[in-house]
Amino acid sequence: MNALLRFFRRLEGPQTLGRGPGFWIGFLVVLAGACAYPVFSDGYTVGNTVYFFTWIFMALGLSLIWGYGGALSFGQTAFFGIAGYSYGILTINFGAAYGFTLVAVVLAMAVAALFAVLLGYFLYFGRISGVFLGIVTLSVTLVLERFMAQTAGPEWKIGAARLNGFNGMSNMPPLTVPWPGGDIVLFPDVQLYYVVLGLLVVVYLGLRILVNSPFGNVLVAIRENPERAEMLGYDIRKYQLGAFVIGAALAGLSGVLYTSWGQYITPSSMGMTAAALPIVWVAVGGRSDLTTTLVGTVVVLSVFQALTIHGSQYALVVMGVLLVLTVLIAPNGLAFAAAGLIARLFRGRRAASPAGDA
Amino acid sequence: MPILETRALNKRFGGLHVTNNVDLALEAGEVHCLIGPNGAGKSTLFRLILGEHAPSSGSILFAGEDITAFKPFQRIRRGMSVKFQVPGIFKALSVRQNLEIAMQHHYEPAGLAAEIGRLLDFLNLAPEAGRLAGNLSHGQKQWLEIGMAISLKPRLLLLDEPTAGMSPEETHATGEMVKRLNAEGMTVLAVEHDMAFVRQVAHKVTVLHLGQVFAQGSIDAIVADERVADIYLGKAPDHAKPEGAHA
Amino acid sequence: MDVGTLAFSALYQFGDAFAFLVLSACGLAVIFGMMGVINLAHGEFIMCGAYVTVSATHAGLPLPLSIALGALVSGLVGVLVERVVIRHLYTRPLDTIVATWGLSLIATQGTLILLGSTLAGVGTPFGSFQVGGYSYSVYRLVLFGAAVAVLVGLYVLFNATRFGVMARATIQVPHMAAALGVDTRLVYSLTFALGAGLAGLAGGLYAPTMTLVPTMGTTFIMEAFVTVVVGGADVFLGTAPAAAVLAVVKATMTSLYGQLFGQIGLLLAVIIVIRVLPRGISGFLLRERA
Repeated sequence: MNALLRFFRRLEGPQTLGRGPGFWIGFLVVLAGACAYPVFSDGYTVGNTVYFFTWIFMALGLSLIWGYGGALSFGQTAFFGIAGYSYGILTINFGAAYGFTLVAVVLAMAVAALFAVLLGYFLYFGRISGVFLGIVTLSVTLVLERFMAQTAGPEWKIGAARLNGFNGMSNMPPLTVPWPGGDIVLFPDVQLYYVVLGLLVVVYLGLRILVNSPFGNVLVAIRENPERAEMLGYDIRKYQLGAFVIGAALAGLSGVLYTSWGQYITPSSMGMTAAALPIVWVAVGGRSDLTTTLVGTVVVLSVFQALTIHGSQYALVVMGVLLVLTVLIAPNGLAFAAAGLIARLFRGRRAASPAGDA
Repeated sequence: MPILETRALNKRFGGLHVTNNVDLALEAGEVHCLIGPNGAGKSTLFRLILGEHAPSSGSILFAGEDITAFKPFQRIRRGMSVKFQVPGIFKALSVRQNLEIAMQHHYEPAGLAAEIGRLLDFLNLAPEAGRLAGNLSHGQKQWLEIGMAISLKPRLLLLDEPTAGMSPEETHATGEMVKRLNAEGMTVLAVEHDMAFVRQVAHKVTVLHLGQVFAQGSIDAIVADERVADIYLGKAPDHAKPEGAHA
Repeated sequence: MDVGTLAFSALYQFGDAFAFLVLSACGLAVIFGMMGVINLAHGEFIMCGAYVTVSATHAGLPLPLSIALGALVSGLVGVLVERVVIRHLYTRPLDTIVATWGLSLIATQGTLILLGSTLAGVGTPFGSFQVGGYSYSVYRLVLFGAAVAVLVGLYVLFNATRFGVMARATIQVPHMAAALGVDTRLVYSLTFALGAGLAGLAGGLYAPTMTLVPTMGTTFIMEAFVTVVVGGADVFLGTAPAAAVLAVVKATMTSLYGQLFGQIGLLLAVIIVIRVLPRGISGFLLRERA
């Protein structure tokens, strides 16, 4: 019981909104609703809902790097793509037996993280920050897209896996869990839904612990005033690199889940348009908090999905407008703007009342 | 052995010789004030000591160890600490969190809260613990940053104009803080314009002019030195005054 | 191939790469250098210039006039964008990059909706010439000339005109310039328009050499980014030498391994350069002028 309380205390802190029994009861209600959802729906719809969920990991990672760490990393889709392709190459070559797809998930995330270590070393130890960090990371993902797009020829293959250029790689096996009575293949259906939902809860809670830990404290300090943080004796480059790598691994997890969900990945998943979308999800809800990022991402994705009925180019125009308006009107995200508005309304009413000065 | 020593320290920005052959030695336990007119090179010297700029030539020793090539955070870990001229605090975080970030690696989690409480009392900031640092008054921000700097328990505390923008009462209270810290064994190097503050705390004063050490001694000796008065009044020869060198 | 032909070929490749880097980057560099703002819709201003140029040519206008019209229209769109969006974000340069990304998304997808997935192009003018049995495009030489002309023009603009003096005063000490009666808002507005116009010019100049698609901006933007990152904040001490250095890398890699590796080479060069010279070439040339 005591250990449980201690665990709960580590989930809360000044770096996350939402604390106390009220918040956690709400959390459990939402979670119960999410668990019950497949009962009231059909397999196909549930499978499409998983598609939403796969993106949230990348959004949470971006919230850590950008919202908490203050670093403009615009190349999250590079890690997404690297991990997605890695998963494809590994599973096409080694198959899905003996639970290898699960090993491939870890390996693919590790490849993305390793790439982030290399790139991050040059960026952060070169003291690149601000807008330059944004355009270099974006350049990396654009070049990766172009590289993958020209791998159409038969000479571009790794083992049995053809990279297949602009048309993308397909037919990799979906996630497969070894099971005594026969392997469970996680097609986009109810089973995959529960696996991804479980991962989401673990990642969300894990990140809450991380940002409220001493590591998270320093990360936020670097966002607020990097010079002061360094002059407290912190090697800020290591903290920034740490956040960058964790964020990259999460983008990689999104990439792997996306690839295994549709058994498909293309270079355009790393292009300019694809790279802009995580920015929209994270900016609109409120990037500097995990919960607002999570909720914002789900809402924006739902709106996007609903608009896609009229054509994805229309949906993308709306995303662009949403991003511009958010930056102009609610630079910290809609959740924080709404909170600020409510606070002002309350204060306004208090000031208007006769006892307001007290 | 001096706790801080600069040997033949030089810094050139393009054609400007902002720090010119500075030899400075700080004995452990002293409060040393650095004064000089605008453009004398005080802030550049500070940045050299902190490692924010690399010197063009010369070396810096801390407690006998050559730290010239050290990065700023490495110097801090050796036992230096700094309060900047413009308050360098984490504005969007609470006062308590500012101190927590400064202190979290120096105390066990169990003792941290108590230690923060003690420091808040020392800084007269206990009632403000929950406020956002950016909403404090200017003087309170200065104190908060001093608090963050001293929470590292440094052997050498560097203060860059600690009383800038403070009322006379706040300035005096800051002086008393510095004296208490010094009594506990902290060595202090302060850049300061306010002569009342210098008189209140300084054991020794160094006057910097055109990037060079112009005079050194007790506050009384410095005040009595006519040449020092001349440079403040602009009478000293300053044809070579470095343009663009910021104080 | 004899030595003379080889030298000419290398020089031609270098000139081609240099022109592409300078023309891609100068609009971005002017805005960044003067305002500290990275315009992520830069590629879409290039696209705008290219589309206007090609449409005007189809309507019967001679190519040089069409290109000028493309630059002009981009510049005017720049004025509009500055008024509506950028002006409100001067105190928040990091937010500007995000907002302009939104604009980029709107422009790319909007063009796709309105004008379809591709626009019929115009042929490359002037034909080709032969050196040592290999044929080279005359228009590439024109592009190199245009790049040099743009650099000279910018130098004159910033050093010898009233606007240039006001602009430099404004970036150095904005409040002082304002106190001296400079309309700083107008200066920022004109600077942004100039940057957008230069992007449009690049689009117009390259329009005859490429397929016109709504996403064509991304072809330019990576090169523009790396040139500005390597160059730093100064157009003359930064962009021009950066373009020269990067052109060597790009031309070498391209002729050895093909165009894609030219780009990969550029990116690797940039990542190494920022590790060594964090403030870019202009920062290095200006020697830590703090």
